[in-house]
Order: sequence, then structure tokens, then C-alpha cells
Amino acid sequence: MNGRLARAVDAVWPPALFGAMFLAVWELIVVINNIEVFLLPAPSAIGSALLDNYGKVWDAATVTGSNALVGLLLGVGLGVAMSFLLMRFRLLDELTTPLAVAVNAIPIIIVVPILNNMFSATSQVGRRLMVMLIVFFVVLINVAKGLRQVKPTHLELMRSYAASPWEVLLKARVPNALPYLFTALKIVAPLSVITAFVAEYFGGSQNGLGFRITSNAATSKNDVMWAYVVGACVLGLAFYLISIWLENATSRSSPADHHQ
Amino acid sequence: MTGERLAVEVTKASMVFNAGRPNQVDALSDIDLLIEEGDFISLIGPSGCGKSTLLRLVANLLTPTSGDVRVNGKPASQARLDQDYGMAFQQSGLFDWRSVRKNIELPLELKGWNKQRRAERADEMLALVQLSEFGDHRPWELSGGMQQRVAIARALAAHPPLLLMDEPFGALDEMTREHMQAELLRICAAAETTVVFVTHSIPEAVYLSNRVVVMSPRPGRITDIVAVDLGAARDEDTREDAIFYKKITEVREALRGAEFGETARGLDDR
Repeated sequence: MNGRLARAVDAVWPPALFGAMFLAVWELIVVINNIEVFLLPAPSAIGSALLDNYGKVWDAATVTGSNALVGLLLGVGLGVAMSFLLMRFRLLDELTTPLAVAVNAIPIIIVVPILNNMFSATSQVGRRLMVMLIVFFVVLINVAKGLRQVKPTHLELMRSYAASPWEVLLKARVPNALPYLFTALKIVAPLSVITAFVAEYFGGSQNGLGFRITSNAATSKNDVMWAYVVGACVLGLAFYLISIWLENATSRSSPADHHQ
Repeated sequence: MTGERLAVEVTKASMVFNAGRPNQVDALSDIDLLIEEGDFISLIGPSGCGKSTLLRLVANLLTPTSGDVRVNGKPASQARLDQDYGMAFQQSGLFDWRSVRKNIELPLELKGWNKQRRAERADEMLALVQLSEFGDHRPWELSGGMQQRVAIARALAAHPPLLLMDEPFGALDEMTREHMQAELLRICAAAETTVVFVTHSIPEAVYLSNRVVVMSPRPGRITDIVAVDLGAARDEDTREDAIFYKKITEVREALRGAEFGETARGLDDR
């Protein structure tokens, strides 16, 4: 246990020290050169702006974060459900795959203004739908592949055991698709935050991080803007940590690069 | 039916793929084959002779275009539903997400055995293939030869009277392969299993079998059956016996005859 703690400390202190030095150098450059706040605020100025506006930054992060999270969960749920349907009904697959490819080919972020127009100005629904759409396609494509690309030997084996279609699904297809699902989750977790941010740049309600950053930039309140950037950074990190955690949780049970 | 029970009974079986289309393949034509309980039969022949197809007819993974296949005195489809046979493939076909033990338990799960009964049988099978310490490992942590031993343990877990093997040692190196052949004989003797074994290695067929079924392609058919029987006490010295070489020559000539004097193609002399 002590060894593990020592290793963790060993792993943490070099980047922590480097980060502290980076902030110190930044502070020094700003102070020595007397750089104006609207160009680049010193870390100390950003820190005090963050303390002054802590509540607001937290609120904005909550808005953007819950948009990302709701969209992420909806997209994953819908994507998984749809991939099962496509596997079960070949006709549905043949009908919808070209459509899915076409929709997926649209730079999907341009749909945001359209979605925003569909709902009231203060609604978050459009943004959540946006996140959901992006997540949905990534999850659908990956999970459908995992459900379908079962080794022929495995299918013959299950048939030789006289397994029912239900048993083949539960014991061969679903476990085969799980690593694909986790790969998709690793991709979409950070993607959902980015989408939630960008969706705020296209109008709609004005209480998220993305909007706060642009509006404070427009009014040259750079120290406050940077305080929101710090909030955005923390939010992005939180989602990134989710994906790292998912990766660790799955790599323990899969062969990863042990395959020849 | 005579008094002696037949493990496998193939009567006038033919198999045509893509019938009536330009890419029609006559995979098997008019196959008759009787396999008695306790037999170790090898199916040998060049690529495309239909030996794997014949094995899949016995397993009821394919249904013959015409003719009849019976296993354990029942139609092949019923035998499959009753799990009267176990099967092993060239790729071990183990599930990466299951431990070695859970892989062996898979056919038992599908039979609806309870947890304790499954665990006991898995222990027994692990001991039989001498992998008792590896029960909790993942398949990808084992060597190729060990993986095939797990696959054999899984195929035999439900104690089926018949074991069907499709080039199970084809992907192994020569040393491992000879070791696995000896292991297989030991395991099958212990489990009292009838075996149908597809291979393209002449020495492998001769070493393992009491009868070698020689097949030829286009259309796939049986051209000869060579009786071997090197005796129950086969060991590494058997591979250097004069009789072993004599039987290898016999099978090789049967294969050449099947190709009308041509050199048998796609066969390996190891």
C-alpha cells in the first residue's frame, strides 16, 4: 500500500512542479512586461476573478455539463437500442443504413441553429439533442459492428451446442460487442463536452460556459473570461477522466494487444 | 440395423453449393461411410475434397442436398439437439471474455446444469487435459497448444460419445503438434470417445487413426479407406517404426491414385 502511494506521489510531483513553474513564469512575464489585462491576464488575476465569480462559473459549468451528460446518456441508450434492432431486422438495416450514412456526413454542428429554432430561446433541448445525435451515430456504428462481427467459429460452435438465438445473443454477440461499446464511449465522452460547448455559440439560452466565454471576450472582461476557461478546462477533464476510467475498466478483461 | 451400434452412418450423401448457378460447387458426391463406436477415423485429402464439408454434415452444421446422415442411431439434426457430439476447430474458438474454466463450462451452461455440477465437471476436464492450474487464466494468456487442449476439454465436457475435429492441430508447430497427438489419444482413451478427425497431414492421420478415409476433389468423394491400427500402446517410438512408414506410404499412394497418378496437391508430408 505504501509502495503504491509512493509511486503515485512519484508520478504526480514532476508534472505538478512543472505546472507551478509554468504559472510562475507566466505571472513573471506579465508583471515584468506590464502586459495589459485585455491581452493576457496574469494567473493571479484569473485566480481572483475565479474566486469572485466562483458561483457563476459553477452554475455555467453545471448547465453545459448537464447538457453534455444528458445528451451522452440519451445517445448511448438510443445507439445501443438501435444497433440491436438493426441486427435483429436485416430489412431495417438495409433501409436505414444509407440514411444514417447521409445524415452522418452532414457536418453535424450546422444543425444546431435549426434545432435551436425548433425550441424556445431559453430551452436546452436543442443542445442536448445535438449532443445526442453525435453520440448516437458513433455508438450505433461501433456496437452494431460488434454484434455482427462474431467469429464464424463461435457461431458454428454455438450451433453445435444447439443454442437458441437468444443464447447466441447473450453468450456470443453481446460479450463480443462490449469492447466495441467501450471504444465508442471513450470517443464520445470528450466529444459530448465539445459539442455542448460549441452548440452554445449558435444562440439560444445564455447561461452556459460557452456563451459566458464569448460574451466576456466581447466585453473585454478578459480575467473573467479566463475564469470561465478554467471552468471549461475542469469540465473537460472530468469527462476525459470518465473515458480513462472506462478504458481501464475494460482493458483488464480484454486481450488488447495480446492478439497475434 | 444390426446389433452393433454405429456412431456415424452416412448414406448416399451429396452436397451441392449454389445449385443451378454459374458458381455451382459439387462439394460431395455419393458419400457412404460407416463409423463404429470407438473408432478413430481420419478424413484426409487435398484442399477442396470436401473433408470439412463431410464433417459439417455429421455435425448437422450443414444439411446434405441429398442422402442421409445418422449419428448415434438418430437423424443428425436430433443428435445435434441432444448434444451427442463435441466439436473442435482449427481456431480454438475460445471466448476471450471467459476464463478457461468458464469456457469449458459453456456447453454445460447451455445444457442447463447448475453451478456446482458445472464446476465439478470443469475440474475433471481441466485435470484430464492437465491444465488444472490454468482454470482462472484467460485463453489469450495460454500458448496455442494449451488453447487447443482447452478447446478439446470444452468439446468433451458434456461427455459426448463422439468428438468431431476439423484440423485442430493445423495451426500448431511440429513439436507441439506431435505432443498434442499423443495427448489426444490419451484423452480419448480415457473418455472412451469415437473421433472423426479432419487433417491434411499424412503422418498425423496414420499415427492417430485406426482407419484413414482418403478423399479426392471435384466432386468430393471417398476413394479409399486404409486400415492402420498401430495398436493401443503408441508412443514416440511408434513414429520410427517400419510399420508406421509402411502405412504412410500406403496412404500416400492411395492419395496419388485418387489424383489419377498426379502428385497429390495441397498435402503436407510432415
